[in-house]
Amino acid sequence: MSNAVASRAGLSTRRLAGLALGAAVALFVLAGVAMPDSTPGKVLRVAFTKSALAATLRLSVPIAFAALGGIFAEKSGVINIGLEGLLIISAFVAVYAADVGGSVWLGLLVGVLASTLLAGLFAVVCIEFRADQIIAGLAVWLIALGLAPFASQAIYGGPNTESLEGSFGTITVPVLSEIPFFGALFDANPVVYLMFAAVGLSWYALNRTSFGRWVVASGENPKALDTAGVNVTRVRYAAVLLSGVLAGFGGAALSLSLGQFIGNGATMVNGKGFIAIVAYLFGNYNPVGALLSTFLFAGLDALQIRLQAAAIIAVPQSLVRTIPYVAVIVVLALFGRTRIPEAAGDHYESGED
Amino acid sequence: MDRRTFIRGSGIAGIAALAGCTGGPTEGSGSNDSENGNGTGDGDGDGSSGSAEVSANVGVVYATGGLGDGSFNDQAQQGIQQAESELNISYNDAQPDEVSQFKSFQQQFAQSTNPDYDLVCCIGFLQKSALAENAPDYPDQNFMIVDEVVEEPNVASYVFGEEEGSFLVGQLAGLLTTREFSAGSGSTNPDRASVGFVGGVEGSLIGKFEAGFIAGVARANADAEVQSTYVGDFNDPAGGKEAALAMYNSGADIVYHAAGNTGTGVFEAAQEAGRFAIGVDQDQSKTKSNYADVILASMVKRVDTAVYTSVENVVNGEFDGGNVTTLGLEQDGVEVVYGQQLGGQISGDVKSEIKASQQAIIDGEISVPADPANV
Repeated sequence: MSNAVASRAGLSTRRLAGLALGAAVALFVLAGVAMPDSTPGKVLRVAFTKSALAATLRLSVPIAFAALGGIFAEKSGVINIGLEGLLIISAFVAVYAADVGGSVWLGLLVGVLASTLLAGLFAVVCIEFRADQIIAGLAVWLIALGLAPFASQAIYGGPNTESLEGSFGTITVPVLSEIPFFGALFDANPVVYLMFAAVGLSWYALNRTSFGRWVVASGENPKALDTAGVNVTRVRYAAVLLSGVLAGFGGAALSLSLGQFIGNGATMVNGKGFIAIVAYLFGNYNPVGALLSTFLFAGLDALQIRLQAAAIIAVPQSLVRTIPYVAVIVVLALFGRTRIPEAAGDHYESGED
Repeated sequence: MDRRTFIRGSGIAGIAALAGCTGGPTEGSGSNDSENGNGTGDGDGDGSSGSAEVSANVGVVYATGGLGDGSFNDQAQQGIQQAESELNISYNDAQPDEVSQFKSFQQQFAQSTNPDYDLVCCIGFLQKSALAENAPDYPDQNFMIVDEVVEEPNVASYVFGEEEGSFLVGQLAGLLTTREFSAGSGSTNPDRASVGFVGGVEGSLIGKFEAGFIAGVARANADAEVQSTYVGDFNDPAGGKEAALAMYNSGADIVYHAAGNTGTGVFEAAQEAGRFAIGVDQDQSKTKSNYADVILASMVKRVDTAVYTSVENVVNGEFDGGNVTTLGLEQDGVEVVYGQQLGGQISGDVKSEIKASQQAIIDGEISVPADPANV
């Protein structure tokens, strides 16, 4: 009884804090609109520019793709924390293939293939050999973290590859790209459009197709799915491979839009796979929600760069750089309401054998 | 269950093996030296016979950006390669990934007896604290450090007058930003007097670049705005690209970077935006020739001179441990080198103004601040 009271009290404090934060943001925006020359006004002015939106979209691509991949895997009951590794491997292989094959699109394709292969290995280890999913996921990350710079060292003589000549270029929709702010949506890299398409398709696949229902059932109640005559193992394999395909797009897009793979330290992926996990958890396994939470992080990152350059807030620049991370933690703590699939992380063995 | 244990065990073993692959000093220079594969790797292989023939063995610990940055580390490598061909030395190098690895790489070179290193070159200011701990532990080992001062009798320190060179490129940027100038793939935006600076990691070293640059811009045009961003990493070209694009999109037309490999992203952004960039450490219109069409000039820092000089001193038995050598404009330690492709199109009056400032700095008529807080 007292427990229930305490938890209810806890919930309402959380809600209060959430409301307070919301009110603070609203006040900030209001102040900014009312007084364009005040600090909030200046912040809003750099935030709502076409260039900030364009940067947000570019920064979102790898995170959003990896998050989509994570949704499929985890919805089916396999927690894939190896997304970071899948991004790394596809980022390197894509640059290598584009360098050898001379086409960024070929690079993208081969990068996706490499990531799918690694995801396949992960699937075999987790599903066939019933390894602990968390440990196997960490192994995927560590393998990629060692393998990609090592291969780069062997091929290019250093952890960083050479710069490619070509890149994706941009697709510009006439007229629409002239719109202030939102014009950035119509003047972007092809991979940005791919990202939107992938989010739409993923949402459709999960919510409107029988494959989507199988994936959900496999994560919530695999026994029921099995009873209905659907092979749970096969569904889980498909979902994990799909997570490899999606993360592969993200990693390849990341390195190819720069034209170089950076393999020092945490590599150029540098935690984007883990941020993707946060994004889909915050988005409660909804592709659209995951995209929106990716936008929140990427948008704050884009804003952070602009706040530094414009020197609006008088704090050290290293503090300004932490804004996106701090904001995501705060938002996650106050508004996050995630329900993990019932059978996520559990192995399922069909009763037949 | 056995199968699971086996898989887990072999997985962990595999990871450990892979991790082993990525660390450790790399053998020889020949393997990762694509320009002149002079095969010194063979000589290094059998260290005992090698050390008998060469005049000195040198270990080099590079900064975290790694080789191939077309900037700081490559410039250091050029110095050691010059020493190799002219002074008949042999060298091994290490490319740490993380600041935390500096200490162990320095120790590996200092402890090694086969070959016994006559000098360990520590490239980059981030190695200071590691070296300050190691130097007293290995009193018989000679060290040299670039960009920092370590006050130990067995450490020769080399620092540069980066603010002086940065002042000159700042003046160049300040003069050009309000002019109608287009060359290569870039053009200025004469309506706005705005330029940018992208730094790697905050600290007194990169602060010298920033301070000099801002002072130089102000000398050329007191009303010009300098947008300044630190990416927080010397090896994050994607971050550098975003930082520079943000500047170009808000009206800047020339961006100077002091960010190692992060600067590659600045050049990429310049090409995308059709604006200009200024390189650092090496003549980047040569080392990053893909971007020669947007690189106006580079603030060259002769890290190679520092490395070469220190090796030469060791070979001649004149190791200057405990000394601090400052290489400024006067000592040719820093200089402005105009871009290979664009330099010829910068007008003569701009160049002569910069030349005049250079002389004024050498003569002490202009004093350049070394801390952005004092600009």
